[in-house]
Amino acid sequence: MAVEPRAGGGAADTRSSLPPHIAAASARRVVPAAAERMPVYAMVGNPNCGKTTLFNALTGLRQKVGNYPGVTVEKKIGEAFSQHGRPMKIIDLPGAYSLAARSPDEAVTRDVLLGRRADTPQPDRIICVLDATNLERNLYLVHQILDLGRPVIVVINMMDLARRGGVEINVIALEEKLSVPVIACEAVNGKGLVELRLAMSRAELPLARHRWDVPAPIAPAVADLQAALVDADRRSPLVARAEALLLLTDLDSVRVAGSTPLSQRTTAILAAWRSRWAGQGTDWSGTLIRGRYESITELCRGVIRRTREQGPSFSDRVDAVLVHSIWGWVFFAAIMLALFFSIFTLAEYPMNWIDQHVAALGTWVKGVMPPGDLRDLLTDGVIGGVGGIVVFLPQILILFFFVGLLESTGYMARAAFLMDRPMSRVGLHGKSFIPLLGSFACAIPGIMATRTIEDAKDRLVTILVAPLMSCSARLPVYLLMIAALLPGDTMPITTKAGIMALMYALGTLGAFGFAWLFKQTLLRSAPPLMILELPPYQRPRLRQILHQMFERGWLFLKNAGTIILAISIVLWFLTAYPKHPDPAATPDAQIAHSLAGQTGRLIEPLIKPLGFDWRIGIGLVTSFAAREVFVSSMGVIFGVQSAGDDTSPIRDALRQARWPDGAPLFTPLVCLVLMIYYVFAMQCMSTVAVVRRETNSWRWPLFQIAYMTGTAWFLCFLVYQGGRALGF
Amino acid sequence: MLSPLCQLPVGTTGRVFRLTGDEGFCQRIREMGFGEAALVTKLSGTATSLCLVNGMRIALNHGAAKTILVEHLPAGTR
Repeated sequence: MAVEPRAGGGAADTRSSLPPHIAAASARRVVPAAAERMPVYAMVGNPNCGKTTLFNALTGLRQKVGNYPGVTVEKKIGEAFSQHGRPMKIIDLPGAYSLAARSPDEAVTRDVLLGRRADTPQPDRIICVLDATNLERNLYLVHQILDLGRPVIVVINMMDLARRGGVEINVIALEEKLSVPVIACEAVNGKGLVELRLAMSRAELPLARHRWDVPAPIAPAVADLQAALVDADRRSPLVARAEALLLLTDLDSVRVAGSTPLSQRTTAILAAWRSRWAGQGTDWSGTLIRGRYESITELCRGVIRRTREQGPSFSDRVDAVLVHSIWGWVFFAAIMLALFFSIFTLAEYPMNWIDQHVAALGTWVKGVMPPGDLRDLLTDGVIGGVGGIVVFLPQILILFFFVGLLESTGYMARAAFLMDRPMSRVGLHGKSFIPLLGSFACAIPGIMATRTIEDAKDRLVTILVAPLMSCSARLPVYLLMIAALLPGDTMPITTKAGIMALMYALGTLGAFGFAWLFKQTLLRSAPPLMILELPPYQRPRLRQILHQMFERGWLFLKNAGTIILAISIVLWFLTAYPKHPDPAATPDAQIAHSLAGQTGRLIEPLIKPLGFDWRIGIGLVTSFAAREVFVSSMGVIFGVQSAGDDTSPIRDALRQARWPDGAPLFTPLVCLVLMIYYVFAMQCMSTVAVVRRETNSWRWPLFQIAYMTGTAWFLCFLVYQGGRALGF
Repeated sequence: MLSPLCQLPVGTTGRVFRLTGDEGFCQRIREMGFGEAALVTKLSGTATSLCLVNGMRIALNHGAAKTILVEHLPAGTR
């Protein structure tokens, strides 16, 4: 439903009809002139209300998503343009049910809105996105935001879904009650965007005139706390009132205060009121929440109309199969199998194409350049190292396409529902499975997604085990080892996919096993209570999935062009220098004489019991930067050793590699052990840095390195020595 | 008849009578509109319950469903 933009109205007239606390504060507030700087909008809403789709529709590709794209757990800033072409900044905040934050991502939303974050400007205006299919629940957050007394635009999204479910929403009635712009929207179809832009383009937005009465038993406490927060904690009057209400909603005042601890005076007033209510048997938090819902029910009178009795929806019918105790698991297994088969079959053609062109480029360079160190650096260092990694791009893209598809359709939450039971056996709940499933793509967004887990110990356990899920960076290592393990193209795809699935299963089992161990020992806590909303099924938003997939692919290529290129060049130097005294020395003798060779020999005693020689050792050390570096390192090391103009693929070079006694180095057993090593070892600097940031301590990332790499070594030792004893 | 939500038969509707979980959990589910007097229909599940509350599908694990005491309503109420 279109909304006509209205004139801002005189400030004095507007103030006279505002709730008293807002009128008093708005009289004091100095609003910067409209043309002074780019206005900052914050976009907020409940999880799954379509906020990110709307953000993407408004900002297009003009987004800054930090370093790690993924679900909305990190701050996203984009730029949009008003109807008059004026730029506007939009911050897409993490989804939240309430400003009484219970998880780290909800705390980000609260802190930005309250102007607590030094790294983010306090928004000038707030866009509240609501799910039309569940308006009352979504209005709870809006109700809290209106307390802040800032200009608000309300966007009611998914109007089509509400209509189909037999719910009519009178947008004009709601707009009249709130006196702020209310826009009907279908972000997926682009409906309502023009109206939203028009509202955002207005030089002035009216403040909400909606009043609600804080329940009588609580009201005096709100006034006391507000006064203390203004005087002793230096909060602005409106922020003080909103914070006072949050302190009386959430039982944990430290959590509400966040990074801005409360003064002694405020703490004492809060304690005195709580003690008084405890004596009277008053459920103050419940009273306040009920008070808000009563106000919302009043607000919705005449706004929501049910046109027909709601029968089972499309999502109900699909859920009857997809979360069924048997068919649900069959479907889940089918999805996982489809993923592994796609990685092998669909990716084969573009991979061969890249492989051939990388080889052709190397041959061409060798043809046009005279022999010498510069030519070797280019062919063996740059082309061998980076080319060996770029070839895996198609598989990375397929993996991210699947993850995006599962998120976009709403299936990810169903997977969490199904996995709740097995997860409960190890002391976690289904919500922990979403970060673990996301870690199949990359542990970094997976670890960041743990911010939705409320319990600190459960969150820490999930962070500690998330890197055990096989991420996309392990994919090149597995694929290379499988190629070396199963030579020839006659081997059926099922065998290769089976080994790959086995590695993924091993990592998952490891994650579950360690989660159980940590919950029994280091991080013991009561079984967690899980409540998880399952969003309605939606048509996959292909554009969004492709955007996310290419963003991740670009990050992979950027990594290959920077970190991996740099490591490849350094590694080439380390393998090429110092030069062997005999100019006619074989490539084997040269690399053994080089700095890399000497370093590899230093660590060889530690890894020889696993069946690895010093050359593999160099790969293990360099791939601590990122797991996929192992492949480029092998490319450089064995590329250096391949004589003459041979630019054969790395897997062929590995098959030809020998121990000094002539025995093959990469036997099937060694390939298997190497894969097991990469399943368990903590080989990713970026993950270590993110765990440090998320846990705010070096203790946990160091513990993670020790337990993961220790387990990797121990298991590899068992498998290799056991395999040798059995004659493999 | 009163029972924990985990014991509400699939396909039937109940009214939330009392929340007995820890205070933090009660606060959050009240904020989600799942407080006292809310109507809840059990859609499926034994260990993990899938319920319909105010038009939204909510999954609760066994521990959480055990803390929500519901009053069983006659068949056909939704």
